[in-house]
Amino acid sequence: MKYAFFVGCTTLSRLPGYEKSARKVAEKLGVELLDMPGSGCCGTTYLETLDHKTGLAVAARNIAIAEEMGLDVVTICNGCTEVLTKANRELKENPKLRAEVNDVLAEAGKEFKGTVEVKHYVRMLKEDVGLDAIQEKMEKSFRGLKVASHYGCHMLKPKEILMSDDPENPTVLDDLVATTGAEPIDYPNKLECCAGPVMGVRENVTWSVGLDKVKTVKQYGDALVTACPFCYLTYERCQLMQEESPNLPVLHIPQLLGLAMGLDTDELGIGHNKVPSTVVLERLEG
Amino acid sequence: MTITVSREAKEFRRKVMETPGAEKLMRCYQCGTCTADCPIAKRVPEFRPRQIARLVMYGQKERLMEGDLLYLCAGCYTCYEHCPQEVHVSEIVSALRRISLDEGHLLPGFKALMEGVAEMGYIYEIDEFENEMREDDGLPPAPVPDTDGIEAVMRATGFLGKVEASTR
Repeated sequence: MKYAFFVGCTTLSRLPGYEKSARKVAEKLGVELLDMPGSGCCGTTYLETLDHKTGLAVAARNIAIAEEMGLDVVTICNGCTEVLTKANRELKENPKLRAEVNDVLAEAGKEFKGTVEVKHYVRMLKEDVGLDAIQEKMEKSFRGLKVASHYGCHMLKPKEILMSDDPENPTVLDDLVATTGAEPIDYPNKLECCAGPVMGVRENVTWSVGLDKVKTVKQYGDALVTACPFCYLTYERCQLMQEESPNLPVLHIPQLLGLAMGLDTDELGIGHNKVPSTVVLERLEG
Repeated sequence: MTITVSREAKEFRRKVMETPGAEKLMRCYQCGTCTADCPIAKRVPEFRPRQIARLVMYGQKERLMEGDLLYLCAGCYTCYEHCPQEVHVSEIVSALRRISLDEGHLLPGFKALMEGVAEMGYIYEIDEFENEMREDDGLPPAPVPDTDGIEAVMRATGFLGKVEASTR
């Protein structure tokens, strides 16, 4: 299994722990993730709201690189997932729009052909690798550890475009958590947005949204897992800003998977997580 | 009491509804599902998706374009998924942002962000320093984006010019 790997700006520059663990876990599962030469920002979820055609063109330039590689795209950021999936669908389905965007893309020497798919890493794990194959790689167990999943919005919505999981009752992250022996838990504000996108407008709103989730999860579970750099940063930073941190470990999903696969903490970049994961590491059996 | 909607107000409403995704505005029956489920509305009293829909219906442009209102939407699509009438307030907010930019306005933070994408190819600078850090972590260098190509694409649509000329 081979994919074009679209890491995304925020993970590339701020979250080596996420990128390292995503690469290591893929390697362990026999999945090859190839870097995309010349790729850049997906365009951001903001650009598409400011100018539809430009948003499509900036996204499509990246997709065209994967098309040249002849590979489907795997993303690890929810924002990139939504932006690239939406552009890919719209341009595949609307020949008139595709022609207009290709006129613009010619400026960058690219053409969108519509020959590849875009999917989030967790979806690739579940649909292409399969939960059984992942389970087989597990050498250790988090038996008894209660893990809350935060899905984030853009992996799931709009449903008619992402078509990956039920946005009202998503299961992909909980299914992956279960392969580690941990207990996936439900909690009241599971589906709430992290509010990361308004961090630059009203920071205090983002911290308030983040803390609400952290405090709720703390009542029901031992740790929180995310699959998006923005969600992760919200739940980590909102805790660091408190005089007394709630100390809820936040892990990138491949970090949890990798630990149960027996990979060491360095390989998974656990040391980069700013809220200590001690309570999680102590529970690893075997 | 009679409410009269002026010609300008109707013109503004028409412009919003012409934007792809915002066509279904007039189906809104003000049930308030959007506001009830909005993660921002829970914390920010002036951000009310239902009110945004209503203000557009009555063409209240000034109130909509005030301050940072349009940029408080996190784009989480909760209102999009939950609206019983498929009004899609999130798309109405996008339409309003586009009209606001067409008229020369963009919040400074968003202006810098968009100019940054054109200049650096990423939203942050990812250069030698960042690549040294990546190397320490055993990660390959970040892809070098074709910044000329990205800038050319963003300029060809007229978008980058609008962003550069924009004021708050």
